[in-house]
Amino acid sequence: MMKKPEACVAMDASEESLVLAALEPDQLAAAKKQHVPRRQLKGAELAVLWALRLYLLFMAAVVLYQAWIGTH
Amino acid sequence: MLSRLRLLWLLAGPGVLVMLGENDGPSMLSYAATGAKFGIGFFLPFIVLTFIMAVVVQEMTVRLAAATHRGHAELIFERFGPFWGWFAMIDLGIGNFLTLITEFIAIRAGLGFFGVPPAASVAAALVLLYTALMTHRYWTWERITLAIAACNLVFIPVALMTHPDWHAAGRAFGVWKPLPGGLSKDVLLIVLADIGATVTPWMLFFQQSATVDKGLTRRDIGFGHLDTVAGALLAAATAVATVLATTPLFLHHMSAENYQAAEFAQALQPLIGRLGASLFALGMVEAGMVACVTISISSAYAFGEVAERPHSLNLPLSEGKAFYAVLFLCAALAAAIVLIPGLPLVYVVLLVNVIAVLAMPPALIFLFLLVNDKELMGSSASPRWANALAAAVVVLLTGAGILFGCSVIAPNLFAAWGGN
Repeated sequence: MMKKPEACVAMDASEESLVLAALEPDQLAAAKKQHVPRRQLKGAELAVLWALRLYLLFMAAVVLYQAWIGTH
Repeated sequence: MLSRLRLLWLLAGPGVLVMLGENDGPSMLSYAATGAKFGIGFFLPFIVLTFIMAVVVQEMTVRLAAATHRGHAELIFERFGPFWGWFAMIDLGIGNFLTLITEFIAIRAGLGFFGVPPAASVAAALVLLYTALMTHRYWTWERITLAIAACNLVFIPVALMTHPDWHAAGRAFGVWKPLPGGLSKDVLLIVLADIGATVTPWMLFFQQSATVDKGLTRRDIGFGHLDTVAGALLAAATAVATVLATTPLFLHHMSAENYQAAEFAQALQPLIGRLGASLFALGMVEAGMVACVTISISSAYAFGEVAERPHSLNLPLSEGKAFYAVLFLCAALAAAIVLIPGLPLVYVVLLVNVIAVLAMPPALIFLFLLVNDKELMGSSASPRWANALAAAVVVLLTGAGILFGCSVIAPNLFAAWGGN
Protein backbone atom coordinates (compact mmCIF):
# COMPACT_ATOMS: atom_id res chain seq x y z
CA MET A 1 0.00 0.00 0.00
CA MET A 2 1.33 3.39 -0.97
CA LYS A 3 2.03 5.87 1.74
CA LYS A 4 0.24 9.23 1.46
CA PRO A 5 2.60 12.15 0.89
CA GLU A 6 2.85 14.47 3.86
CA ALA A 7 1.22 17.88 3.44
CA CYS A 8 4.28 19.75 4.59
CA VAL A 9 7.77 18.42 4.14
CA ALA A 10 10.40 19.75 6.49
CA MET A 11 13.58 20.67 4.66
CA ASP A 12 17.01 21.15 6.07
CA ALA A 13 19.15 24.10 5.01
CA SER A 14 20.99 22.24 2.27
CA GLU A 15 17.74 20.95 0.73
CA GLU A 16 16.19 24.41 0.87
CA SER A 17 19.17 25.98 -0.85
CA LEU A 18 18.95 23.25 -3.52
CA VAL A 19 15.25 24.03 -4.14
CA LEU A 20 15.92 27.76 -4.25
CA ALA A 21 18.81 27.25 -6.68
CA ALA A 22 16.43 25.35 -8.97
CA LEU A 23 13.65 27.94 -8.73
CA GLU A 24 15.79 31.08 -8.80
CA PRO A 25 16.51 31.38 -12.53
CA ASP A 26 12.81 31.35 -13.47
CA GLN A 27 10.93 32.51 -10.42
CA LEU A 28 13.45 34.64 -8.48
CA ALA A 29 12.12 32.84 -5.40
CA ALA A 30 14.93 33.86 -3.03
CA ALA A 31 14.87 37.47 -4.18
CA LYS A 32 11.11 37.70 -3.58
CA LYS A 33 11.45 36.00 -0.18
CA GLN A 34 13.75 38.70 1.17
CA HIS A 35 11.92 41.11 3.45
CA VAL A 36 12.10 44.80 2.53
CA PRO A 37 12.81 46.67 5.78
CA ARG A 38 10.54 49.58 6.76
CA ARG A 39 11.97 53.07 6.35
CA GLN A 40 10.77 56.12 8.28
CA LEU A 41 10.19 59.15 6.09
CA LYS A 42 12.19 62.21 7.12
CA GLY A 43 11.02 65.80 7.69
CA ALA A 44 11.52 67.19 4.18
CA GLU A 45 10.10 64.05 2.55
CA LEU A 46 7.03 64.16 4.79
CA ALA A 47 6.56 67.86 4.10
CA VAL A 48 6.62 67.30 0.31
CA LEU A 49 4.25 64.32 0.54
CA TRP A 50 1.75 66.23 2.70
CA ALA A 51 2.04 69.33 0.50
CA LEU A 52 1.26 67.24 -2.60
CA ARG A 53 -1.60 65.51 -0.76
CA LEU A 54 -3.13 68.93 0.00
CA TYR A 55 -2.46 70.01 -3.61
CA LEU A 56 -4.32 66.92 -4.84
CA LEU A 57 -7.31 67.58 -2.56
CA PHE A 58 -7.46 71.22 -3.62
CA MET A 59 -7.16 70.36 -7.33
CA ALA A 60 -9.83 67.66 -6.97
CA ALA A 61 -12.17 70.39 -5.68
CA VAL A 62 -11.18 72.57 -8.67
CA VAL A 63 -11.93 69.74 -11.11
CA LEU A 64 -15.32 69.11 -9.46
CA TYR A 65 -16.08 72.84 -9.73
CA GLN A 66 -15.02 72.80 -13.40
CA ALA A 67 -17.21 69.73 -14.02
CA TRP A 68 -20.17 71.47 -12.35
CA ILE A 69 -19.65 74.59 -14.49
CA GLY A 70 -19.20 72.51 -17.63
CA THR A 71 -22.37 70.49 -17.16
CA HIS A 72 -24.46 73.59 -16.33
CA MET B 1 23.68 40.59 -33.55
CA LEU B 2 20.86 38.14 -34.39
CA SER B 3 20.98 36.63 -30.91
CA ARG B 4 20.81 40.13 -29.34
CA LEU B 5 17.76 40.97 -31.47
CA ARG B 6 16.15 37.69 -30.43
CA LEU B 7 16.85 38.53 -26.78
CA LEU B 8 15.30 41.97 -27.27
CA TRP B 9 12.18 40.35 -28.80
CA LEU B 10 11.94 37.99 -25.83
CA LEU B 11 12.43 40.76 -23.27
CA ALA B 12 10.30 43.38 -25.05
CA GLY B 13 6.78 43.68 -23.74
CA PRO B 14 6.02 45.77 -20.67
CA GLY B 15 7.53 48.96 -22.13
CA VAL B 16 5.86 48.70 -25.53
CA LEU B 17 2.60 47.61 -23.92
CA VAL B 18 2.52 50.41 -21.37
CA MET B 19 3.26 53.09 -23.99
CA LEU B 20 0.80 51.79 -26.59
CA GLY B 21 -1.64 51.01 -23.77
CA GLU B 22 -1.44 54.66 -22.71
CA ASN B 23 -2.32 55.67 -26.27
CA ASP B 24 -5.80 54.79 -25.07
CA GLY B 25 -9.28 56.00 -25.92
CA PRO B 26 -9.17 59.30 -24.02
CA SER B 27 -5.60 59.90 -25.19
CA MET B 28 -6.46 59.46 -28.86
CA LEU B 29 -9.50 61.67 -28.33
CA SER B 30 -7.24 64.35 -26.77
CA TYR B 31 -4.80 64.16 -29.69
CA ALA B 32 -7.70 64.28 -32.17
CA ALA B 33 -9.18 67.31 -30.37
CA THR B 34 -5.71 68.92 -30.35
CA GLY B 35 -5.34 68.64 -34.13
CA ALA B 36 -8.93 69.73 -34.79
CA LYS B 37 -8.73 72.78 -32.49
CA PHE B 38 -5.12 73.96 -32.91
CA GLY B 39 -3.72 72.25 -36.03
CA ILE B 40 0.00 71.82 -36.63
CA GLY B 41 2.06 74.08 -34.39
CA PHE B 42 2.85 74.24 -30.69
CA PHE B 43 1.26 70.92 -29.83
CA LEU B 44 3.25 68.74 -32.23
CA PRO B 45 6.60 69.20 -30.42
CA PHE B 46 4.77 69.43 -27.09
CA ILE B 47 3.33 65.93 -27.53
CA VAL B 48 6.80 64.57 -28.33
CA LEU B 49 8.04 66.26 -25.13
CA THR B 50 5.35 64.46 -23.11
CA PHE B 51 6.66 61.13 -24.43
CA ILE B 52 10.20 62.08 -23.38
CA MET B 53 8.73 62.73 -19.91
CA ALA B 54 7.07 59.31 -20.05
CA VAL B 55 10.41 57.62 -20.83
CA VAL B 56 12.11 59.47 -17.96
CA VAL B 57 9.44 58.24 -15.56
CA GLN B 58 8.90 54.70 -16.87
CA GLU B 59 12.58 53.71 -17.06
CA MET B 60 12.69 54.14 -13.28
CA THR B 61 10.02 51.45 -12.87
CA VAL B 62 12.16 49.03 -14.92
CA ARG B 63 15.14 49.56 -12.60
CA LEU B 64 12.94 49.25 -9.50
CA ALA B 65 11.38 46.01 -10.73
CA ALA B 66 14.70 44.47 -11.76
CA ALA B 67 16.41 45.43 -8.49
CA THR B 68 13.63 44.59 -6.01
CA HIS B 69 11.44 42.00 -7.85
CA ARG B 70 8.39 43.65 -6.36
CA GLY B 71 5.41 45.46 -7.77
CA HIS B 72 5.04 49.19 -7.14
CA ALA B 73 2.18 48.98 -4.63
CA GLU B 74 3.86 46.16 -2.71
CA LEU B 75 7.09 48.12 -2.48
CA ILE B 76 5.41 51.31 -1.20
CA PHE B 77 3.55 49.30 1.46
CA GLU B 78 6.64 47.39 2.60
CA ARG B 79 9.02 50.34 2.57
CA PHE B 80 6.86 53.24 3.80
CA GLY B 81 4.11 51.39 5.65
CA PRO B 82 0.36 51.00 5.13
CA PHE B 83 -0.50 54.66 5.86
CA TRP B 84 1.24 56.00 2.75
CA GLY B 85 0.59 52.75 0.91
CA TRP B 86 -3.16 53.24 1.14
CA PHE B 87 -2.90 56.83 -0.07
CA ALA B 88 -1.08 55.59 -3.18
CA MET B 89 -3.60 52.79 -3.63
CA ILE B 90 -6.63 55.10 -3.30
CA ASP B 91 -5.13 57.46 -5.93
CA LEU B 92 -4.50 54.51 -8.22
CA GLY B 93 -7.89 52.88 -7.63
CA ILE B 94 -9.90 56.05 -8.31
CA GLY B 95 -7.74 57.05 -11.29
CA ASN B 96 -7.83 53.57 -12.84
CA PHE B 97 -11.57 53.22 -12.45
CA LEU B 98 -12.29 56.62 -14.01
CA THR B 99 -9.90 55.86 -16.87
CA LEU B 100 -11.50 52.47 -17.41
CA ILE B 101 -14.86 54.20 -17.89
CA THR B 102 -13.34 56.35 -20.62
CA GLU B 103 -11.90 53.29 -22.38
CA PHE B 104 -15.40 51.85 -22.69
CA ILE B 105 -16.57 55.25 -23.95
CA ALA B 106 -13.96 55.00 -26.75
CA ILE B 107 -14.99 51.43 -27.60
CA ARG B 108 -18.66 52.36 -27.60
CA ALA B 109 -18.05 55.42 -29.77
CA GLY B 110 -15.69 53.63 -32.17
CA LEU B 111 -18.05 50.72 -32.77
CA GLY B 112 -20.93 53.20 -32.93
CA PHE B 113 -19.43 54.43 -36.22
CA PHE B 114 -20.22 50.99 -37.67
CA GLY B 115 -23.74 51.03 -36.24
CA VAL B 116 -23.11 48.68 -33.31
CA PRO B 117 -25.48 49.46 -30.39
CA PRO B 118 -23.76 50.67 -27.15
CA ALA B 119 -24.77 47.61 -25.06
CA ALA B 120 -23.44 45.20 -27.70
CA SER B 121 -20.17 47.20 -27.94
CA VAL B 122 -19.34 47.06 -24.24
CA ALA B 123 -20.46 43.40 -23.99
CA ALA B 124 -18.12 42.48 -26.86
CA ALA B 125 -15.27 44.33 -25.12
CA LEU B 126 -15.88 42.41 -21.89
CA VAL B 127 -15.88 39.08 -23.76
CA LEU B 128 -12.60 39.99 -25.49
CA LEU B 129 -11.05 41.01 -22.16
CA TYR B 130 -12.10 37.67 -20.64
CA THR B 131 -10.75 35.71 -23.64
CA ALA B 132 -7.37 37.50 -23.58
CA LEU B 133 -6.89 36.65 -19.91
CA MET B 134 -8.01 33.05 -20.01
CA THR B 135 -4.71 31.92 -21.54
CA HIS B 136 -3.33 31.86 -17.95
CA ARG B 137 0.16 32.46 -19.29
CA TYR B 138 1.77 35.89 -18.99
CA TRP B 139 3.78 35.23 -22.16
CA THR B 140 0.76 34.27 -24.31
CA TRP B 141 -1.32 37.14 -22.95
CA GLU B 142 1.51 39.58 -23.57
CA ARG B 143 2.00 38.49 -27.20
CA ILE B 144 -1.76 38.61 -27.94
CA THR B 145 -2.05 42.07 -26.39
CA LEU B 146 1.07 43.27 -28.22
CA ALA B 147 -0.48 42.13 -31.51
CA ILE B 148 -3.69 44.06 -30.79
CA ALA B 149 -1.67 47.07 -29.56
CA ALA B 150 0.26 47.14 -32.85
CA CYS B 151 -3.06 48.12 -34.51
CA ASN B 152 -2.59 51.48 -32.72
CA LEU B 153 -0.30 52.33 -35.65
CA VAL B 154 -3.41 52.46 -37.86
CA PHE B 155 -3.52 56.23 -37.19
CA ILE B 156 -0.34 56.63 -39.28
CA PRO B 157 -1.92 55.60 -42.63
CA VAL B 158 -4.97 57.72 -41.72
CA ALA B 159 -2.65 60.72 -41.28
CA LEU B 160 -1.00 60.00 -44.64
CA MET B 161 -4.43 59.96 -46.31
CA THR B 162 -4.93 63.59 -45.23
CA HIS B 163 -1.73 64.64 -47.13
CA PRO B 164 -0.18 66.57 -44.21
CA ASP B 165 1.88 69.70 -44.76
CA TRP B 166 5.29 68.20 -43.89
CA HIS B 167 7.02 71.57 -44.19
CA ALA B 168 4.72 73.10 -41.55
CA ALA B 169 5.13 70.02 -39.36
CA GLY B 170 8.92 70.20 -39.55
CA ARG B 171 8.91 73.95 -38.83
CA ALA B 172 6.66 73.44 -35.78
CA PHE B 173 9.39 71.32 -34.16
CA GLY B 174 11.82 74.21 -34.58
CA VAL B 175 9.70 77.12 -33.40
CA TRP B 176 6.88 75.52 -31.32
CA LYS B 177 4.38 77.80 -33.11
CA PRO B 178 1.71 78.80 -33.90
CA LEU B 179 -0.57 78.54 -30.89
CA PRO B 180 -3.94 79.84 -32.19
CA GLY B 181 -5.71 82.02 -29.60
CA GLY B 182 -2.64 82.32 -27.37
CA LEU B 183 -2.52 81.06 -23.80
CA SER B 184 -6.07 80.44 -22.65
CA LYS B 185 -8.16 78.17 -20.46
CA ASP B 186 -8.93 75.97 -23.49
CA VAL B 187 -5.25 75.65 -24.32
CA LEU B 188 -4.45 74.71 -20.72
CA LEU B 189 -7.20 72.09 -20.70
CA ILE B 190 -5.73 70.53 -23.85
CA VAL B 191 -2.17 70.85 -22.47
CA LEU B 192 -3.21 68.96 -19.35
CA ALA B 193 -5.25 66.44 -21.33
CA ASP B 194 -2.25 65.77 -23.61
CA ILE B 195 0.09 65.32 -20.64
CA GLY B 196 -2.50 63.07 -19.01
CA ALA B 197 -2.64 61.16 -22.28
CA THR B 198 1.02 60.20 -21.87
CA VAL B 199 2.04 60.24 -18.21
CA THR B 200 -0.33 58.64 -15.69
CA PRO B 201 -0.06 56.78 -12.37
CA TRP B 202 -1.37 53.42 -13.66
CA MET B 203 1.62 53.20 -16.01
CA LEU B 204 4.02 53.13 -13.04
CA PHE B 205 2.14 50.32 -11.33
CA PHE B 206 1.58 48.34 -14.53
CA GLN B 207 5.11 48.43 -15.94
CA GLN B 208 6.78 47.62 -12.62
CA SER B 209 4.44 44.70 -11.88
CA ALA B 210 4.56 43.38 -15.46
CA THR B 211 8.37 43.57 -15.45
CA VAL B 212 8.39 41.54 -12.23
CA ASP B 213 5.87 39.07 -13.70
CA LYS B 214 8.08 38.74 -16.77
CA GLY B 215 11.08 38.04 -14.52
CA LEU B 216 13.57 40.70 -15.61
CA THR B 217 16.73 40.99 -13.51
CA ARG B 218 19.45 43.65 -13.15
CA ARG B 219 21.25 42.15 -16.16
CA ASP B 220 18.16 42.91 -18.30
CA ILE B 221 17.77 46.58 -17.33
CA GLY B 222 19.36 47.75 -20.59
CA PHE B 223 16.87 45.73 -22.62
CA GLY B 224 14.04 47.00 -20.41
CA HIS B 225 15.12 50.55 -21.28
CA LEU B 226 15.22 49.70 -25.00
CA ASP B 227 11.74 48.21 -24.68
CA THR B 228 10.50 51.44 -23.04
CA VAL B 229 12.12 53.72 -25.63
CA ALA B 230 10.81 51.57 -28.52
CA GLY B 231 7.31 51.77 -27.02
CA ALA B 232 7.60 55.55 -26.61
CA LEU B 233 8.75 56.01 -30.23
CA LEU B 234 5.86 53.94 -31.57
CA ALA B 235 3.33 55.67 -29.34
CA ALA B 236 4.70 59.16 -30.12
CA ALA B 237 4.52 58.44 -33.87
CA THR B 238 0.88 57.41 -33.46
CA ALA B 239 0.05 60.45 -31.33
CA VAL B 240 1.63 62.86 -33.81
CA ALA B 241 -0.15 61.04 -36.66
CA THR B 242 -3.49 61.54 -34.90
CA VAL B 243 -2.88 65.29 -34.59
CA LEU B 244 -1.92 65.41 -38.29
CA ALA B 245 -5.01 63.36 -39.21
CA THR B 246 -7.46 65.79 -37.60
CA THR B 247 -5.62 68.98 -38.62
CA PRO B 248 -7.75 69.29 -41.81
CA LEU B 249 -10.76 69.87 -39.50
CA PHE B 250 -8.90 72.89 -38.07
CA LEU B 251 -7.88 74.10 -41.53
CA HIS B 252 -11.48 73.80 -42.80
CA HIS B 253 -12.75 75.65 -39.68
CA MET B 254 -14.94 72.73 -38.66
CA SER B 255 -15.90 73.18 -35.00
CA ALA B 256 -14.51 70.37 -32.88
CA GLU B 257 -16.09 71.53 -29.62
CA ASN B 258 -18.35 68.57 -29.10
CA TYR B 259 -16.81 65.78 -31.12
CA GLN B 260 -16.78 62.32 -29.61
CA ALA B 261 -14.36 59.66 -30.74
CA ALA B 262 -16.48 58.37 -33.61
CA GLU B 263 -17.67 61.82 -34.58
CA PHE B 264 -14.09 62.68 -35.52
CA ALA B 265 -14.24 59.72 -37.92
CA GLN B 266 -17.55 60.97 -39.34
CA ALA B 267 -16.18 64.49 -39.71
CA LEU B 268 -13.08 63.18 -41.50
CA GLN B 269 -15.06 60.95 -43.91
CA PRO B 270 -15.62 63.67 -46.57
CA LEU B 271 -11.87 64.37 -46.53
CA ILE B 272 -10.34 60.88 -46.40
CA GLY B 273 -13.17 58.63 -47.54
CA ARG B 274 -15.01 55.76 -45.91
CA LEU B 275 -11.87 53.58 -45.60
CA GLY B 276 -9.86 56.25 -43.78
CA ALA B 277 -12.77 57.10 -41.48
CA SER B 278 -13.32 53.40 -40.73
CA LEU B 279 -9.63 52.97 -39.86
CA PHE B 280 -9.86 55.98 -37.55
CA ALA B 281 -12.90 54.51 -35.77
CA LEU B 282 -11.23 51.08 -35.52
CA GLY B 283 -8.16 52.77 -34.06
CA MET B 284 -10.37 54.25 -31.34
CA VAL B 285 -11.79 50.79 -30.56
CA GLU B 286 -8.29 49.26 -30.41
CA ALA B 287 -7.00 52.09 -28.22
CA GLY B 288 -9.85 51.58 -25.76
CA MET B 289 -9.57 47.79 -25.83
CA VAL B 290 -5.82 47.52 -25.12
CA ALA B 291 -6.02 50.06 -22.31
CA CYS B 292 -9.09 48.32 -20.93
CA VAL B 293 -6.97 45.16 -20.55
CA THR B 294 -3.82 46.83 -19.19
CA ILE B 295 -5.63 49.15 -16.75
CA SER B 296 -7.80 46.33 -15.36
CA ILE B 297 -4.64 44.28 -14.83
CA SER B 298 -2.85 47.23 -13.22
CA SER B 299 -5.67 47.47 -10.62
CA ALA B 300 -5.67 43.71 -10.04
CA TYR B 301 -1.87 43.55 -9.65
CA ALA B 302 -1.94 46.37 -7.09
CA PHE B 303 -4.83 44.76 -5.18
CA GLY B 304 -3.05 41.39 -5.10
CA GLU B 305 0.20 42.96 -3.91
CA VAL B 306 -1.47 44.90 -1.13
CA ALA B 307 -3.90 42.17 -0.03
CA GLU B 308 -1.05 39.62 -0.25
CA ARG B 309 -3.13 37.46 -2.55
CA PRO B 310 -1.64 35.53 -5.50
CA HIS B 311 -1.35 38.01 -8.38
CA SER B 312 -0.02 36.83 -11.68
CA LEU B 313 -1.33 36.27 -15.18
CA ASN B 314 0.28 32.83 -14.96
CA LEU B 315 -2.30 31.77 -12.37
CA PRO B 316 -5.22 29.50 -13.27
CA LEU B 317 -8.64 30.87 -12.33
CA SER B 318 -8.94 28.58 -9.28
CA GLU B 319 -5.67 29.86 -7.75
CA GLY B 320 -6.12 33.52 -8.58
CA LYS B 321 -9.81 34.02 -7.75
CA ALA B 322 -9.34 37.38 -6.00
CA PHE B 323 -6.95 38.65 -8.71
CA TYR B 324 -9.33 37.82 -11.56
CA ALA B 325 -12.43 38.89 -9.58
CA VAL B 326 -11.05 42.43 -9.06
CA LEU B 327 -10.06 42.57 -12.70
CA PHE B 328 -13.45 41.59 -14.09
CA LEU B 329 -15.56 43.44 -11.51
CA CYS B 330 -13.76 46.75 -12.21
CA ALA B 331 -14.21 46.25 -15.95
CA ALA B 332 -17.87 45.21 -15.69
CA LEU B 333 -18.78 48.16 -13.43
CA ALA B 334 -17.01 50.65 -15.73
CA ALA B 335 -18.79 49.12 -18.73
CA ALA B 336 -22.17 49.47 -16.99
CA ILE B 337 -21.56 53.16 -16.18
CA VAL B 338 -20.91 53.93 -19.86
CA LEU B 339 -24.45 52.76 -20.63
CA ILE B 340 -26.07 55.35 -18.31
CA PRO B 341 -28.30 57.50 -20.57
CA GLY B 342 -27.33 61.17 -20.84
CA LEU B 343 -23.81 60.79 -19.42
CA PRO B 344 -21.67 63.69 -20.82
CA LEU B 345 -19.15 61.36 -22.44
CA VAL B 346 -16.75 63.91 -23.97
CA TYR B 347 -16.55 65.95 -20.81
CA VAL B 348 -15.87 62.85 -18.72
CA VAL B 349 -13.00 61.91 -21.06
CA LEU B 350 -11.24 65.29 -20.88
CA LEU B 351 -11.66 65.61 -17.11
CA VAL B 352 -10.32 62.09 -16.53
CA ASN B 353 -7.14 63.01 -18.40
CA VAL B 354 -6.81 66.14 -16.26
CA ILE B 355 -7.31 64.11 -13.07
CA ALA B 356 -4.55 61.73 -14.22
CA VAL B 357 -2.11 64.65 -14.46
CA LEU B 358 -3.11 65.99 -11.06
CA ALA B 359 -2.58 62.59 -9.42
CA MET B 360 0.84 62.15 -10.97
CA PRO B 361 3.12 64.33 -8.76
CA PRO B 362 2.35 62.43 -5.49
CA ALA B 363 2.90 59.12 -7.32
CA LEU B 364 6.18 60.39 -8.75
CA ILE B 365 7.48 61.36 -5.30
CA PHE B 366 7.10 57.76 -4.10
CA LEU B 367 8.85 56.56 -7.25
CA PHE B 368 11.60 59.15 -6.74
CA LEU B 369 12.15 58.09 -3.11
CA LEU B 370 12.25 54.40 -3.98
CA VAL B 371 14.53 54.65 -6.97
CA ASN B 372 17.02 56.73 -4.92
CA ASP B 373 16.95 54.29 -2.01
CA LYS B 374 20.52 52.94 -2.05
CA GLU B 375 19.59 50.15 0.41
CA LEU B 376 17.04 48.79 -2.06
CA MET B 377 18.62 49.73 -5.36
CA GLY B 378 22.35 49.41 -4.70
CA SER B 379 24.22 50.24 -7.91
CA SER B 380 20.92 50.66 -9.81
CA ALA B 381 19.96 53.81 -7.82
CA SER B 382 19.26 56.90 -9.93
CA PRO B 383 22.23 58.95 -11.12
CA ARG B 384 22.09 62.75 -10.68
CA TRP B 385 21.07 63.49 -14.26
CA ALA B 386 18.09 61.10 -13.97
CA ASN B 387 17.06 62.82 -10.73
CA ALA B 388 17.30 66.23 -12.38
CA LEU B 389 15.06 65.07 -15.23
CA ALA B 390 12.57 63.47 -12.83
CA ALA B 391 12.47 66.64 -10.72
CA ALA B 392 11.83 68.69 -13.88
CA VAL B 393 8.88 66.40 -14.75
CA VAL B 394 7.39 66.84 -11.24
CA VAL B 395 7.78 70.64 -11.42
CA LEU B 396 6.27 70.77 -14.93
CA LEU B 397 3.28 68.59 -13.98
CA THR B 398 2.62 70.47 -10.74
CA GLY B 399 3.02 73.84 -12.51
CA ALA B 400 0.62 72.85 -15.30
CA GLY B 401 -1.90 71.69 -12.67
CA ILE B 402 -1.63 74.96 -10.73
CA LEU B 403 -2.03 77.03 -13.93
CA PHE B 404 -5.12 75.01 -14.83
CA GLY B 405 -6.51 75.59 -11.32
CA CYS B 406 -5.89 79.33 -11.67
CA SER B 407 -7.63 79.36 -15.06
CA VAL B 408 -10.72 77.73 -13.53
CA ILE B 409 -10.84 79.98 -10.47
CA ALA B 410 -9.95 83.19 -12.37
CA PRO B 411 -11.11 82.65 -15.99
CA ASN B 412 -9.94 86.12 -17.13
CA LEU B 413 -6.41 85.62 -15.86
CA PHE B 414 -4.91 84.89 -19.27
CA ALA B 415 -6.51 87.85 -21.04
CA ALA B 416 -3.66 90.00 -19.70
CA TRP B 417 -1.16 87.72 -21.54
CA GLY B 418 -2.90 87.98 -24.88
CA GLY B 419 -4.98 84.83 -24.45
CA ASN B 420 -8.73 84.51 -24.16
